[in-house]
Amino acid sequence: MLLTRRNLMQTALTLGAMHAFPGLTWAQARPLVFATFTGSWEEAHRAVLVPAFRKATGNADMVLDPMLSVDQIAKVNAAKNNPPIDVMLHDPGPALQAVAQDLVEPYPVEKSAYYKDLIPAAQVPMGPAPFFQVVGITYNPETVKTPPTSWADLWKPEFKGRVGITNLNSTLGTGFMVELAKMHGGSEANIDPAFKAIEALRPSLAAVAANPGQLATLFQQGQIDISPGNFNAIQILKARGVPVEFVIPKEGAIAFKTTIHIVKNSPNKELAFKLIEAALSPEVQATLMEEPYLIVPTNTKVAIKGELAKTLAKDHAEIAKKFVFQDWAKINEQRSAWIERFNREIRV
Amino acid sequence: MAATLRDVTTYDLKLAAPLAAGFVLFFVTPLAILLALSFQTDPQGGHYGLTQYVNFLGDRFSLGVLGSTLWLGVKVTALTLLLGYPVAWLHQRSPGWARGLIMLLVLLPLLTSVVVRTFAWVVILGRQGIVNATLAWLGLIDTPLKLLYTDGGVVVALAQVQMPLMVLPIITALGRIDPNLADASSVLGAGHWRTFRKVILPLSLPGIVAGCLLTYAAAITAFITQSLIGGGQMLFMPMYIYQQASTLQNWPFAAAISIVFLVSVLVVVSIFNALGRLSRGYANA
Repeated sequence: MLLTRRNLMQTALTLGAMHAFPGLTWAQARPLVFATFTGSWEEAHRAVLVPAFRKATGNADMVLDPMLSVDQIAKVNAAKNNPPIDVMLHDPGPALQAVAQDLVEPYPVEKSAYYKDLIPAAQVPMGPAPFFQVVGITYNPETVKTPPTSWADLWKPEFKGRVGITNLNSTLGTGFMVELAKMHGGSEANIDPAFKAIEALRPSLAAVAANPGQLATLFQQGQIDISPGNFNAIQILKARGVPVEFVIPKEGAIAFKTTIHIVKNSPNKELAFKLIEAALSPEVQATLMEEPYLIVPTNTKVAIKGELAKTLAKDHAEIAKKFVFQDWAKINEQRSAWIERFNREIRV
Repeated sequence: MAATLRDVTTYDLKLAAPLAAGFVLFFVTPLAILLALSFQTDPQGGHYGLTQYVNFLGDRFSLGVLGSTLWLGVKVTALTLLLGYPVAWLHQRSPGWARGLIMLLVLLPLLTSVVVRTFAWVVILGRQGIVNATLAWLGLIDTPLKLLYTDGGVVVALAQVQMPLMVLPIITALGRIDPNLADASSVLGAGHWRTFRKVILPLSLPGIVAGCLLTYAAAITAFITQSLIGGGQMLFMPMYIYQQASTLQNWPFAAAISIVFLVSVLVVVSIFNALGRLSRGYANA
């Protein structure tokens, strides 16, 4: 072939286009795309889940594309017939939205080797839960000498101006409000008592964070001494040397299922199933339970050990006792009204 | 022969075509979709009407959010102008080596990401931050002041973050002023203050207007700084839109408040532009 200026340009342009729009080259088959969460979740999945999946499938091609639940839903919604994601990971609220919008396949339960071993709360036919997230009380042991034992401790006068909470945008913030409602005689359907409790908490509030990630910064800066917090987020802070401790209040820890789903119309359903199987397997869950990940397993074949056994629960029976699961179908019905109300009542 | 000469005073519009196509594809089209979306009466779609706009404009809380966002912009712009103008003035009056240094200091913030700059302000304004630590060391306060998550904190942080947008246009405007004008003014008997007020300030007005416009637009849309320094108790329009679109998946309402926000900003921008035109007239007179 003659190397003229014209065909050199053509080649360069084609290569450039392929680089700019990688989708062009994937017209037929693309690797399995798993939209995990960002941050420590992505690290854990890249290090443990992906190798397990590769082993189980003889090195099938897969890509991690970490993003928030809401972004996953938006992306799949935008291209329902040819979704850019094969496997989604969701907190309970968004999971129900994804199911309601008909974006996910039922999990092929009868084909699954591990589904029946999951604790009952994790057995969700539209997408099982490979992990839990646990919310308890986080405090600074340098300034809080007696460890708190109840959510009610946040209202103690000694914490005046030292308490942090988050708004209801996050699962954590919403779950905390529901727990408050329950403590004061309300429920998922009756949130009023929680708003009254928050009103009473106002003089104690040092900060209302816009998202749970900000709570970590606030602890680091000494802006707050006590707040509701996510177990895994606290472990990361602790590992960095920030003085924080996590306790489960006597009312129980607020637990969220993190569910994993096969996307409807995915071209890689078989591989998606295999990835989820790997996530449910005792081997993967046992590895993820160890340092530094400390992710709470849902497979009953995994014996709970180490830091988890020390701080959270020594076995699955205790988990069932200490973890409070909330009714997110009920919560979703009114969540937007609560967010609206929280906006109004908490605004300075 | 005249017929073969090309008219060099007009340019071929085709040169602008790639940019124009980009604008149509990536700006006008999404804007049209956004506008269409804002007329949907519910998130599931189907019906069209003005429900979302009625909901927003008939709600005192929502109007309050809009008002406080626009007001935030005014405060930030005023503070930036107050602090930025002397910097630009100093730059103009300094010898060559100092000019380079001032320019570097002005540009330095632009070289780091907004997130990093904002986190620096979290550290500065925190309970154990630089401000509180200094005040406590001087014995001026016993308990740390609450600076983070306050209105004042947001204004100061935004003013610093957006400072280059104000200083650079003013430097350009001041640079265009003939130094002889100031000399002429003093020869004619005007003092420093009068020279500044009657000569320099009017002539630099176009730069001030341009700087204010940029700072204002950047300050009211600064999602990251507003939420990190303001926290969850202060709600501004960008966060309000994000909350509706992302957390609540209520896209029609989010679209409607985006349009309302856009229109309000356009109104403010046209006021600035009108001022700009006036000031040009003033400067040329």
